[in-house]
Amino acid sequence: MGGSLSTAVDIILNSLVLGGVFLIVAIGLNIIYGLSRVMNLAHGSLYAVGAYAGYSIVAIGFNYFAAILLAPVYVAAVGLVLERTIIAPMRKRSMIYTLILTYGLMFFLDGMIKYIWGNEPRFIELPAMIQATVPILGTQYPVFRLVMLLITAAVMTGLMLFLNKTKIGIILRASSTIPEMVSCLGVNMKYVHMGAFVLGCVLAGIAGTIAGPLTTIDPLMGHEMLISSFVVIVIGGLGSLRGAVIAALLVGAVQTLAEFFITDLAMVIVYMLMALILAFMPRGLLGEGKFE
Amino acid sequence: MEAFLCTEDLCCQFGGVTATDCVCINFEESGLRSIIGPNGAGKTTFINIVTGRIPASSGRVIFQGKDITSKPTHELVKMGICRTFQITSVFRNLSVFENVRIAGQARRGGSLKVFSLKKNLREVTKQTWAILERLGLQDLAGEPAKNLAYGDQRVLEVAIAMAGGPSILFLDEPTAGMSPAETRRISELIQGLSEEISIVLIEHDMDLVMSISDAITVLHYGSIIAEGQPEEIRNNELVREAYLGKEG
Amino acid sequence: MDKHLTIPDKQPGFSLPTFVVIMIIIAGLAVFPFVITNRFYISLINEMLIYGLLAMSLDVLLGFTGLLSFMHNAYLGISAYAVGLFLIHVSPASLWLACLTGVFFTALVALPVGWVQVRTGGLAFALLTLAFGMMFHTIVWKWYGLTGGDDGLMGMPNPAISIFGWEIGHSGDPTAMYLLTLVVVTICYILTRRIIRSPFGAVLEAIRENEERAAFVGINVRMYKLLGWMLACTLAGVAGALFILYKGYIGPTTMSAFAGAGVLMMVLLGGMGTLWGPLVGAAIFIYIQDYISTMSEHWEIYLGIVVVFLVLFMPTGFVGLGGYLKRLKRG
Repeated sequence: MGGSLSTAVDIILNSLVLGGVFLIVAIGLNIIYGLSRVMNLAHGSLYAVGAYAGYSIVAIGFNYFAAILLAPVYVAAVGLVLERTIIAPMRKRSMIYTLILTYGLMFFLDGMIKYIWGNEPRFIELPAMIQATVPILGTQYPVFRLVMLLITAAVMTGLMLFLNKTKIGIILRASSTIPEMVSCLGVNMKYVHMGAFVLGCVLAGIAGTIAGPLTTIDPLMGHEMLISSFVVIVIGGLGSLRGAVIAALLVGAVQTLAEFFITDLAMVIVYMLMALILAFMPRGLLGEGKFE
Repeated sequence: MEAFLCTEDLCCQFGGVTATDCVCINFEESGLRSIIGPNGAGKTTFINIVTGRIPASSGRVIFQGKDITSKPTHELVKMGICRTFQITSVFRNLSVFENVRIAGQARRGGSLKVFSLKKNLREVTKQTWAILERLGLQDLAGEPAKNLAYGDQRVLEVAIAMAGGPSILFLDEPTAGMSPAETRRISELIQGLSEEISIVLIEHDMDLVMSISDAITVLHYGSIIAEGQPEEIRNNELVREAYLGKEG
Repeated sequence: MDKHLTIPDKQPGFSLPTFVVIMIIIAGLAVFPFVITNRFYISLINEMLIYGLLAMSLDVLLGFTGLLSFMHNAYLGISAYAVGLFLIHVSPASLWLACLTGVFFTALVALPVGWVQVRTGGLAFALLTLAFGMMFHTIVWKWYGLTGGDDGLMGMPNPAISIFGWEIGHSGDPTAMYLLTLVVVTICYILTRRIIRSPFGAVLEAIRENEERAAFVGINVRMYKLLGWMLACTLAGVAGALFILYKGYIGPTTMSAFAGAGVLMMVLLGGMGTLWGPLVGAAIFIYIQDYISTMSEHWEIYLGIVVVFLVLFMPTGFVGLGGYLKRLKRG
């Protein structure tokens, strides 16, 4: 009896941790799309860049927690350059071209990652104090995963505060519903677009860094995260925050369970789920999304 | 007498907003009825429901005795319910000729003729030229629609809708942004058409509405506040209040 | 009325100059393997033709119906596997039956996928093609027992290519295979061109231009999207059959997202919405890929850069370049 309870606790906590990472990535994607109407297919690669940056920062000798602060800055810088040079000119073009563009960007970033860091998987050295495990309801649960949950919660809270209480945050939110009005009020839309993209990159970077010790850091991680985060957005509904939370937890649970039972078909099930929901419930499970 | 097209207690809610509130209108088989009302009154929402663009929350739309409330758009067009849009919606990279021709082809069939030639659909081609000439667009026939002046694009909208061979035609602010000459042209056309088919006009141009309508319905906050002949509406207190606000 | 002559409508036939040019090209291609007998070059053009067909089929979907697919190569792969498995396990000598089976099976798979996909458009459609494409890739990769997994399909026979009893060679013979490819691709091109310029093609273009308006002129948009999709996937299936006969091998790499981006790039490179542009684009792509295949390590970087460049600066492809230069000359 104790065995299955501890397994259940493991699975539940792991789902939460994984779901947390998905949530941060998905929200980043949502923000970029909501404000710039750009579906950033390179988002998974930016997440991977965050993970690799975190690895390098720790490898140089910094503390892991420092990496969590610095890596997102690095990703934001990369994102800023990309936004100003490549994405901004695309704003007036049709959606199809933007999709193809960010798709190409994805390959470029993945290739650069392989070029700079090579093909072998990398591992982040965690500070000794969080390497321990802690007993929870019969299972020995790694402390660092609990730390990750905390960080996820902190990020989400910080984001909510930013979007609801700060002037910039409110402008960003207004821009996603009525962009014309906001620009009429004298806000320079250029900065809104830049800000949205950079914010999305920061979130991707944070997610990458906390996911680093969680999974293996390898060149494929961006691709997998992209698909998973799309599944989250599709299920939760594009543009819906509540939906994203529920969907992230759901997908986190599904993937954790699937890996526990049938490793190979895990992704196939995820793909099928996404396809069915996108086709038959394009507004997401809660019906709040914007895919038409 | 069975109404040609009528709506029964048609309602539409978005979130907390009631955009259309128990609207019952009867449309005749021919003639020109205008739907007017201040901005946000729900005029476009109403015809969006009738033409199948958005679903109704409750109520029914009956056309020639049949309940068409939840039918898909393309079926409604095939039944003879056509419309134009407030924001010009044409096939931008296709020629003016093709814009109208494809509408005629879709209505008359022949779209599955995978190996036949477009020009073999002679009836469609003839009809296309007829419509272009009636609307004065024949000289622009080869131009891509996106190159047209705004006013001509609005006329093209009407041409496309006409190619669908409608028995009832909904026009959503067709004269918006048009010069007086263009407005005259369109209003003559609409008047002529209204003798053959039923025309439903949403307009803000009061002079136009008063001069060519057979009947007027006034919407305010989603429900009907007045209905009748142009003279009655002109003198109606409620209508004036709606547009100008309560005075004194 | 001579007004009919002033409409720059696309004619289903070929204008005389175009016809002459095409005849010259086809004649040149037909004679090619007998003049330049180097096996390498024959195979290269063969590959260009096959991918040209695949790119053309994607153009039907993207350039004419306006639907973006990130992994159209999935349908080439499915057909290739089907043909291969048929030849290996069922009947090693029945070339035509195997091809028919492959194409038919591909259409069979494409139908439910398409049915699900056409319920959406634009962004959602593209994401779905990615999801399904990745799904097929994973299945093919993991189902070792059937497909050989990472190793790919082994033991492909080389059936004889015979038309009504006249045998022109077998699929392992580069020249015979080349001629088969040339004939099939030419027929497919002519047929597709005819279809695109028919009333049916006009409907597809209307959907591409303005989906909502198309519905509001009475077009059953979902149904026609599905038909366009089926046409595109069936053509991809034909390409797949040619592919495995030509290569004698198929592996999961051909069905990867990376290969999918490659096909997309071929269409972009050549020019969307022209039908023959992607054929040119495929030729250029294959040539470049061959030329710098030694740098395969960083291939992804170059692919990404070129795609970004094309989208930003040359969205109409090489074919569109001609039009652009013409406009420059006019000043």
